[in-house]
Amino acid sequence: MANKHYLLFILTIALPTYLFGQNATLKGQVTDATTKETLIGAYVRFDGSSNGTTTDVNGQYALTNLKPGFYKVKVTYIGYTPFEKEFTLSAGQVYILNISLATGSNTLKVVSIHGKLDNETESASRSNEKNSNNIKNVISAQAIARSPDINAANVLQRVSGVTIQRNAGGDDAYPIIRGIEPRYNNTLINGVKIASPESQSRFVSLSIVPSELLQRIEVSKTLTPEMEGDAIGGTVNLVFKDAPEKRDIVATGSIGYSQLFIDRKFTKYQTKDIQKYSPSELNGQSYNATADNFSRSNLDFTQTRALPTTAFSVYYAERFLKSKLGVIIGNNYQNLYYGSNSEVNTSAVDGNSADHRPIILQDIVRQYSTNQKLENFITHLDFKINDKNKISLDNVLLYSHLTESATASDTSIVGGNGGRTIPGTGPISYVARSTNNDQLVENLKLSGNHILSKHFLFDWTGAYSDAGVRNPDQATLNTTNAITYDPSTKQFTTVPTVFDGISRIWQHNNDKDVTGIANLTYTKSWGESSFFEFKVGGLYRHKKRYNFGDEYSLNPNLSGNRKEGFNGIYNITFNVFNPNGSGGYNANNYDALENVTAYFGQFKFSFPMVDIIGGVRSETTLQEYTLGDDNPYTANSVSKQYTDILPSIDFKFKLSEKTNLRASYFKSIARPSYSDLIPVPQPSSGGEQIVGNPGLLHTTADSYDIRFELFPKQDEQFYVGTYYKKLTNLIETKIGGVNQGQLIITPKNTNNATVAGVEFVATKYIGKIGISGNYAYTYSDVLDRKIDRNNPALAEADRPFEHRKLSGASIHDLNVSLLYRDIKNKINLQLAYQFLGSTLVQIYDYTGDDYIQKPQSVLAFSGDAALNSHIVLFGKFNNLLNTHKIIQLHDINTANEFTKATYLLGLRYNY
Amino acid sequence: MKKFTVLASAIALIAALASCSKKDTTVVTKPPVPISHPINSDTIGGFTKGTLLAGKTYTVNHTVFVKTGDTLLFQPGANIIVKNNSQFSIQGVLQVLGTQASPVKFNSFAGTPGTWRGFGCDSAQSVTIKWADVKNTGGPSAKGGTTVAVKVARQIPVDIEDSWFSNGQDDGLALYAGNLIILRNTITSSGSNDGEAINIKNGASGIVAYNVIYSQAGTGVKLETAAKVVTAETSVDVYNNTIVSSGWRRGSAEPGRAFSIGATAYGRFYNNIIVNCYHGFEVFADADVAKTKYGYNLFYASQDGLLDTTQNSNTIIKIRDNFYPTSGVGVAQATDIISKSVGDKDPKFKTYDGIPLLVNGAPNNNDFHLQSSSPAIGAGITTWAGLTGNIPTGSGPNKDLGAYPQDGTGNKH
Repeated sequence: MANKHYLLFILTIALPTYLFGQNATLKGQVTDATTKETLIGAYVRFDGSSNGTTTDVNGQYALTNLKPGFYKVKVTYIGYTPFEKEFTLSAGQVYILNISLATGSNTLKVVSIHGKLDNETESASRSNEKNSNNIKNVISAQAIARSPDINAANVLQRVSGVTIQRNAGGDDAYPIIRGIEPRYNNTLINGVKIASPESQSRFVSLSIVPSELLQRIEVSKTLTPEMEGDAIGGTVNLVFKDAPEKRDIVATGSIGYSQLFIDRKFTKYQTKDIQKYSPSELNGQSYNATADNFSRSNLDFTQTRALPTTAFSVYYAERFLKSKLGVIIGNNYQNLYYGSNSEVNTSAVDGNSADHRPIILQDIVRQYSTNQKLENFITHLDFKINDKNKISLDNVLLYSHLTESATASDTSIVGGNGGRTIPGTGPISYVARSTNNDQLVENLKLSGNHILSKHFLFDWTGAYSDAGVRNPDQATLNTTNAITYDPSTKQFTTVPTVFDGISRIWQHNNDKDVTGIANLTYTKSWGESSFFEFKVGGLYRHKKRYNFGDEYSLNPNLSGNRKEGFNGIYNITFNVFNPNGSGGYNANNYDALENVTAYFGQFKFSFPMVDIIGGVRSETTLQEYTLGDDNPYTANSVSKQYTDILPSIDFKFKLSEKTNLRASYFKSIARPSYSDLIPVPQPSSGGEQIVGNPGLLHTTADSYDIRFELFPKQDEQFYVGTYYKKLTNLIETKIGGVNQGQLIITPKNTNNATVAGVEFVATKYIGKIGISGNYAYTYSDVLDRKIDRNNPALAEADRPFEHRKLSGASIHDLNVSLLYRDIKNKINLQLAYQFLGSTLVQIYDYTGDDYIQKPQSVLAFSGDAALNSHIVLFGKFNNLLNTHKIIQLHDINTANEFTKATYLLGLRYNY
Repeated sequence: MKKFTVLASAIALIAALASCSKKDTTVVTKPPVPISHPINSDTIGGFTKGTLLAGKTYTVNHTVFVKTGDTLLFQPGANIIVKNNSQFSIQGVLQVLGTQASPVKFNSFAGTPGTWRGFGCDSAQSVTIKWADVKNTGGPSAKGGTTVAVKVARQIPVDIEDSWFSNGQDDGLALYAGNLIILRNTITSSGSNDGEAINIKNGASGIVAYNVIYSQAGTGVKLETAAKVVTAETSVDVYNNTIVSSGWRRGSAEPGRAFSIGATAYGRFYNNIIVNCYHGFEVFADADVAKTKYGYNLFYASQDGLLDTTQNSNTIIKIRDNFYPTSGVGVAQATDIISKSVGDKDPKFKTYDGIPLLVNGAPNNNDFHLQSSSPAIGAGITTWAGLTGNIPTGSGPNKDLGAYPQDGTGNKH
């Protein structure tokens, strides 16, 4: 019965043969003949006309204002036996046509590839989950639109077992699936890998993907052989909107504000003088830059009122050429103002205490003020050559322009430079940084489906993905002073603030992927409802990457033989310490490539009571890089190659029409990112050097899953599942030793880890009130050596073992949404609550402690109300509790960050 | 008369004969020992090993790399001129073997501070530098930062004696590990606006003695293991050094110290003379305070204070208040000689202009030898608990404080 129901109904009412008169009405209810379940969200339309409707939550539909005439109704629902009826409507007649569809037979697999599925509804998502070959969770566009969520990251955190890892201050967000960190998961756009704009990782921030243009988000928690094997936690697939059967125009506009900028001002700098290229890029490597080459206005910080956040999105879909050609154009523009306040305490072992627990070294107070403009453009074309051949073209273009002011005051509490004698004293260094970032991610995909014969289906995909980032002139201004206290006079004294240098960095990188995929499927059915499918295919991806960085140090000129007082950015004087820049021989400038060649064979047996999907995938990876380094002692070129054989098997026991029981096993991998392998210090890593490790092994994992699924009604669900994973050769960042006087932080393999968990998902409506929720419990255990805090000089091989959690794994993840829907008055309200249990977010290198994020409760509210049949007013109110992100190390709060509530109001126009 | 004449002639003859007699002469002929890989080219650069010859001038056109297992040896009087911000990047053995009569000279072609990148001995096998005159190091690194005169980052023998390091841009000797013998060196006018003269970290051990440090931007001798410890604690004996006019250029937010001890390091500090430094002796709270021992040090200020006009603050920095600054946990010892006023406990250098704050690269026209009336003479101790046994003969602590004891066993400059 798999592949029988696709979410979407296509209810085609064939052309009237002749037309006359006015005012007839056709209405009725659509149900499943066997289960009597009403079928929600089915789209009903007259061919050649834009007059259409969808069945509501009760399966009801109504078409009014129909011209009298002879009609032939043909209902084709994928997975159901086609329904046909001819009738005549007379003027003024109300014709009631209740349609019950019988579940259909076995040729559905073939039909499915051309089916137009309205995948945007919640019931469609349930059906997607129910019928899929693997275990997944799907969120529909409908659910997204009604949620408080603005971008893909917000949406994802409501998926069972998914949490979001965010960087401090920024808005970047990456998915943690079942406690497994982003590096072990992959992100797809329209089913294809995307290139990463990040300079150090393979990630793509989900916060730049607007929820408005998404059709659905699928999180696959188990893999089948046809899926790419580098996903240990899971795969996130962002599916952009697809062309429906009718013209569709949606326009959305919204305006919002953050409580943060009601309570404080926005720190701004001028961008008018920013140079896109560094002096050496403009004038050649031998050019001697002088102070005049460096603008000052981008370090001229002023306090202003933030403008409101605005967003505008328009989406147009149409079918041409007798529905053969589908076209979609979507555009989303956002101008966002956001920021954060935080207090960070760096810490280290207290050498003078008996138990050597951590103490606070520095107290850092930070503020970020960020303006980000996002411009996202999607296009989709699909062309049905005939019933057996279809070609699609998808292009997703994500552009982001970011300007960010970051200020920090860093008070030394102990060590380094004297530290604090009594509260309120200590040496303070002030950092003010302006960052400009332009990011462009493009993903172009051409794909085709071809029914070669009754038994053979061929599909192919060619994809080109290009991600680039340019950070022109990241400027950092350093000033210092100190507050001292004289116990004899009991007086605090602040010494003059001095100018302590400026650094300027121009950085850019680019990641390009070219992917080719081809699959051949053989299908053979027997009996009424059984079939066998065998699929073979291959993938080849060539990935190329470069990274370029150019740094200049602007040192203070001395005044009276000492550092000059800081009297504003326009009054200081400095000299260029390295007039040639560092672009010519910066060790962090590299070229890298990665080639992946994969093959698979996958079978599927579908019987009335059980589906069995399994097979094996082979992935061969070649990773290479060369460095622009002048140091002959370090590796400047490394090549790694490895092949993984990845078997998997999925059983789906169809206990009843409404229930599935699934069991699955799969093996998967995670590849190190480029910077993980490159053994040279990365720039801007502060007092520690972050150095790659060419000896790093890739991670492999074995995963076992069981899930019970119950689908009480079309948009209701109840799932309970459990899983167990064994990870081998984890990649974790640890102390790698001491070099050149600095601590080396390096990715290292941790032998293995165990992750297991239980997940519940439930959605239930009682009349207008619904409750939707999920809960995931994650157990994780890593047994690894740590530095003995009482005996740190022990050799690495003698260090004691300690059990700890897996980094990134939240013990509890609870999402509960209270839903109110009034279909008659078209009002939807949603109160969404999230609880995240304590999470190990970073490994502390010494025994006894780790950096633990304290439990968080997050509350959001959203609502929409139809003003008329075309216009919906909506509001989204996030982070209402102003949830703080607090990280603890032993008894020290090492970070306390908050962003405050955000408020958004908007209008949505539906054609 | 004739008799007398004969006698006189005889005496003259005997005297003449006697004056003609010679002492024994012994000629020992050894088989000739060839110089290992003599480098005859006038220019060097790239992978290099062998011997730079006495009295010869070499131009370094680009960075010299010495592989593991190779030795680069400098004979007395070799004269090295470095171009193109180059460096000696050593993984093998470095031996700079100058003599008092013929030091080995290193300077950049430009001859201005910060124009070459010094000795990168991070992962060398051993480092020996004797009687070298190293000028104007500290040129920009690949990443654009400053570099130091000598950097070591492995637990190897490091023997640096009788050398001059002047006009660097950052640290002079950055000894981030090693078994150290740092004896009788003179480090002057280094660090543009930051940097320590001798910066010792990460489990290094050994002795720092009889050094003169003058007009360093930051701290004279800094001990620190690391905030995050993965090595044994840093532990050094620091004695009979003279530290003058240091710690000012870095500014009041981050005063330089004559001595600082931080982050799980400890040391034993005796018999030193500290004059006109911004901060004197500062033990930070995160040092291994219990194991840090000190005393018998002389602190002096030749003026009450120094006016700081930065941002028109016009504050007076009182030098004597900062001998043991309140920001540290160190306290004055009964055995210390601590000046209470100008003129009180003046160590009486032979010549000293008394200027605390000078520019990077300023010449040192002072003579820090002691006058015979100096209170530093005879005020020290010659042994203490924990004093390392690995001290070259004749280089142990001297009862006269500072780098120039009266018996002449100290600094030879």
